[in-house]
Amino acid sequence: MSENRTLLVEMAEGLFADLSGAEFASAWPRVAEAGFASLLVPADAGGFGGDWGDVLAVLRLAGLNALAAPLAEPILAHHLLAQAGIAAPEGLLTIAAPGQRVPFARHADGIVRAGDGAVALYLPGSYSVTQGTSPAGEPWDAVDFTGEPVASVASDIDLLALGAFARVAQASGALEAAFTLSIDHVNTRVQFGRALAKFQAVQQALAEFSEEAAAVDASAAACAAALDHGDAGFEIAAAKLRTGIAIDRSVPIAHRVHGAIGFTIEYALNHHTRRLMGWRSEFGSDSFWAERLGRAVAKLGGKGLWHEVAARTDRQVAASG
Amino acid sequence: MQIFPLHPFTPPGDVPALRQQVRDLITAHEPRWTIEQRADTWFGNDAEFSRALGTAGLLGMTWPKQYGGHERSMLERYIVLEELLAGGAPAGLHWIADRQTGPLLLRYGTEEQREKYLPGMARGETYACIGLSEPNSGSDLASVRTFARKTLEGWRVNGQKVWTSGAHHCHAALTLLRTEEGSERQQGLSQLMIDLDTPGVTVRPIIDMAGRHHFNEIFFDDALVPLGALVGTEGQGWKQVTAELALERSGPERYLSSHLLLIALIDAVGPEPAPDVAQLIGRLTAEMWTLRQMSLSTAAKLAAGEDPVVEAAIVKDLGNAYEQALPRLVQAAVEVDLAGPSDLSRLLAWFLLTSPSFSLRGGTPEVLRGIIAKGLGLR
Ligand SMILES: Cc1cc2nc3c(=O)[nH]c(=O)nc-3n(C[C@H](O)[C@H](O)[C@H](O)COP(=O)(O)OP(=O)(O)OC[C@H]3O[C@@H](n4cnc5c(N)ncnc54)[C@H](O)[C@@H]3O)c2cc1C
Repeated sequence: MSENRTLLVEMAEGLFADLSGAEFASAWPRVAEAGFASLLVPADAGGFGGDWGDVLAVLRLAGLNALAAPLAEPILAHHLLAQAGIAAPEGLLTIAAPGQRVPFARHADGIVRAGDGAVALYLPGSYSVTQGTSPAGEPWDAVDFTGEPVASVASDIDLLALGAFARVAQASGALEAAFTLSIDHVNTRVQFGRALAKFQAVQQALAEFSEEAAAVDASAAACAAALDHGDAGFEIAAAKLRTGIAIDRSVPIAHRVHGAIGFTIEYALNHHTRRLMGWRSEFGSDSFWAERLGRAVAKLGGKGLWHEVAARTDRQVAASG
Repeated sequence: MQIFPLHPFTPPGDVPALRQQVRDLITAHEPRWTIEQRADTWFGNDAEFSRALGTAGLLGMTWPKQYGGHERSMLERYIVLEELLAGGAPAGLHWIADRQTGPLLLRYGTEEQREKYLPGMARGETYACIGLSEPNSGSDLASVRTFARKTLEGWRVNGQKVWTSGAHHCHAALTLLRTEEGSERQQGLSQLMIDLDTPGVTVRPIIDMAGRHHFNEIFFDDALVPLGALVGTEGQGWKQVTAELALERSGPERYLSSHLLLIALIDAVGPEPAPDVAQLIGRLTAEMWTLRQMSLSTAAKLAAGEDPVVEAAIVKDLGNAYEQALPRLVQAAVEVDLAGPSDLSRLLAWFLLTSPSFSLRGGTPEVLRGIIAKGLGLR
């Protein structure tokens, strides 16, 4: 774990809580100023020198607070550039993974594109943006790369997987937020003369919700640990898929226990559930990751699956011991 | 509040070597096992294999050496368990003794009880069963009625236990009963370690819907049990049983019970499965992998001396749901001849019949979710 984790988390907690409810225009400058974008850039290259555990901690808090500013995108963009040895321009950088929309492209000062064996930096003018909107009302733009990149370096980095990890991390926070809202609501809303929380059917539904949130938390943490160890393709595929399943199971519970109030635009639940709905489709759907993971497992064979799963945690134990 | 902060799982020693030791033992014994026996894993029986595990030092692993144990870490023991389950080893005979009865005796038992039972348990020769459920006490365990009256000669026990797994193979039952006349609910309960060859104790089979003789009913007709059979403190049975249930609920057997079917599915469809089957394999893998992370974390917390009651209930409930859904999902996705001779056919037919019990043994979903809801402050 990075030594600066506590400091980082305190800073992110304060800032993101402060920015909760703020729009992109007011939120992004403050996030930019705080320097989170360089989280994964090594300290000797002028960055924060953090690890993937730090990324998880910060993205989880962004999800928890429904942060309207981009965070995962600039962190990953700067990481890719640092890895490729390409100097990062000033301003907001976002990412283009194969076949994906480009979040916040309309506001970006550069796009880092990864895929087809290369990482490349495109500056405005070398691409055109068609605006689109995510279920949460966030910029989800389509980008047509019409010109040449300013720099391009051969790389086999799997940006789709890194993006998927980012959404898992954000989802773990958003699920906690939706869960906390649900608990608070059933403790205060009274029907039939009792708080909703006193009805067993409601208790059982929230217990199920907590299990799903727990599964995402555990899978996100296991991914971060694997990423810090090196190759995390297996873990990310499993975690993104498990997160999709958790969203499938728990978003309906959150809305169900809230009743009509949770269906209004004013009430905060939709800030979280709408993001969760969008993230489920981003950086690979459930079926995409299921098929990728399933094909990899089929090649391992029946016994090989367990051997692989065990060996992947054993080597982390060996490295830490 | 983060619901499930991951606790790092860092066992000591050479973990791959320990895994290999278990895998080698399985390889050496597997020619003797039927596929159904293997599918039963921690419900399956092979006395010779249990003894072999004992000889290899893989039972009573965490217990003091003076009682035949090996003073190894709880996490090393966890690795042995997951290898036995994933490898489809019939390890049911000693499972309960190694998992809960032995540890309970170490924690609450008298010196005499420890010396009497633990060395045989660690050798894989002495087996124990769980005497909790009664005809009128299932989920509502605090309503047990089996009664033990204290006399000068010993405890006079009357009543009935039911659904007792493996009692017909076992030497003793750690039994929860009422020792205070007229007491209600959690009050006045105690635990007795009752030898099953005691006169007045009768074990009768109950055949389950898969045709197995696995569980039993135990009748106590004025059975005279020595005073020295009291485990722990008279009247503290409820507290002790809660600790026992925590051990019972937190292990890897709560999500790996049908792992053999996943293996058979993968092997049956080969390295290039159709897209929908690949997706099913991916989905099952994702659930299994996630459950393993949660289970490892819970084991690490237990080993660190914490009391992860809610985490254990979460892992068991999610794990049971997964291991129970696995046969149904396989049935829905692939053509399988349920009367056929292939491993996949036999395992699917077997797990369809046995999996309904996965979410009953050790506590039902409603009970587990009640525990979680309590942990969440809802009740
Ligand atoms: C294969 C197998 C092995 C077993 N081995 C043992 C053993 O070795 N030793 C032993 O002591 N026991 C054993 N059991 C018994 C097991 O612990 C019980 O089956 C379990 O506790 C449930 O009790 P019950 O069967 O009486 O069901 P009940 O308690 O009657 O429950 C029936 C249904 O009602 C629901 N229900 C009950 N109370 C509530 C409530 N308050 N709110 C909502 N829903 C509720 C339950 O969740 C369940 O769905 C075994 C069971 C099985 C299936």
